[in-house]
Amino acid sequence: MHEAPVIEVGGLHLDLSVILMLLVTCTIVFVVARLATRNLSVENPGKLQNFMEWVVEFIRNMISSTMDWKKGKPFLSLAMTMILFIFVANMLGLPFGVVTEYHDPAKATIFGHEITSVTEVFKAAHEKGEEAHAEVAWWKSPTADLSVTMGLALIVFLLSHGLGLFKNTKNYLKHYVQPYPFFLPINIIEQLSKLLTHGVRLYANIFAGEVLISTIMTLAKASIIGAIFSVPLLMAWQGFSIFVGAIQAFVFVILMMVYISQNLESHDEEHH
Amino acid sequence: MEIVWENTVIAIIAIGILYFLLNKYAFGPLFSVMEKRQELVQSQLNEAAQTREQAAVFIEEQKAALQEARKEAYEIIEQSKQTSSKQAAELLDHAKDEATRLKDEAVRDIQSEKNKAVEQLRSEVGAVSVKIASKLIEKEVSEDKVQGELVDQYLKEVGGRS
Repeated sequence: MHEAPVIEVGGLHLDLSVILMLLVTCTIVFVVARLATRNLSVENPGKLQNFMEWVVEFIRNMISSTMDWKKGKPFLSLAMTMILFIFVANMLGLPFGVVTEYHDPAKATIFGHEITSVTEVFKAAHEKGEEAHAEVAWWKSPTADLSVTMGLALIVFLLSHGLGLFKNTKNYLKHYVQPYPFFLPINIIEQLSKLLTHGVRLYANIFAGEVLISTIMTLAKASIIGAIFSVPLLMAWQGFSIFVGAIQAFVFVILMMVYISQNLESHDEEHH
Repeated sequence: MEIVWENTVIAIIAIGILYFLLNKYAFGPLFSVMEKRQELVQSQLNEAAQTREQAAVFIEEQKAALQEARKEAYEIIEQSKQTSSKQAAELLDHAKDEATRLKDEAVRDIQSEKNKAVEQLRSEVGAVSVKIASKLIEKEVSEDKVQGELVDQYLKEVGGRS
């Protein structure tokens, strides 16, 4: 189990790997998008522009399948950002990982700050009177971190409920007491569980993929036979992880559009 | 796995910044270009439809013009046929008239020539017969006017008969 490199700055816990990977992901997405839209042409689009337009069409169809296109049009840009970000984030953890190993808590520092997560491990081990070492993962998918995916899910949650509350007030509020007023707590739990599952689904899929990859790497390190076996295993699992990463990006965005449309659209049709 | 709430905040901020940048520098222009293309295609479709309609109208006009021209040509031919037959008839009539006139003139000329000849002959025959008669009956007849008149009358009868 790899630790996250958390440092304390001014009372805030900063997870350096998450910050680093978020930066990398955002940079890659922005550079790719910028390259694709650098020489825009109406009549003679380039290859990258064609690819980007294909993505736009794909997202547009996705939105159209969940709600009226007129209502969904403002979310096109957000959905594009989300799917590109999540896809790139999911892919980043696959090709390699950067892990540092510490045996001495005094050495676990970066930029003059101690890595608190590492020292905590040593403290816990010291209390038990055991020898300990900690491994810190620097390079991983940002989506393999629950707090990041919950952040993404929280954006969707706040956005969809804010839109429902302000743009569709009557139907939105009525929905909580249907079919009977005593269903109110159940409806609230339903909404909260949507937030939870939205974030955890993405995190769990990607995290599980990375755990299995590091497990296979451990197998490779164990013996020569293990190393030979690990190569096809790793190839198969990484291929599958690419597939899972793409699917999870798709699922996250389509659920986002479904949640928004659920809160935006009136359910009058069902009751008349 | 513990949740580090700072990570959540950082992730939200990162997504927000990424959304803003992409919207401004990448997707905004891309969407506008796609919209422009759609408009372009739409306008071209409209143009094509318009052109087709115009072409149909033109064809109709051409057909009408062709029909008109055909009718005119037919009329012209008819007219010329009529004129030519009329002219031929006129010519024929004219020729006939001319021929009749010429014939009549000739007849008249012949008549007048004949009359002249008869007149001349009569006077000559009168004179000759007077000479013959005066030679035959020189003395008795020469001064007698009554007998001269008798001879004239007689000769007139001869002339009338001829």
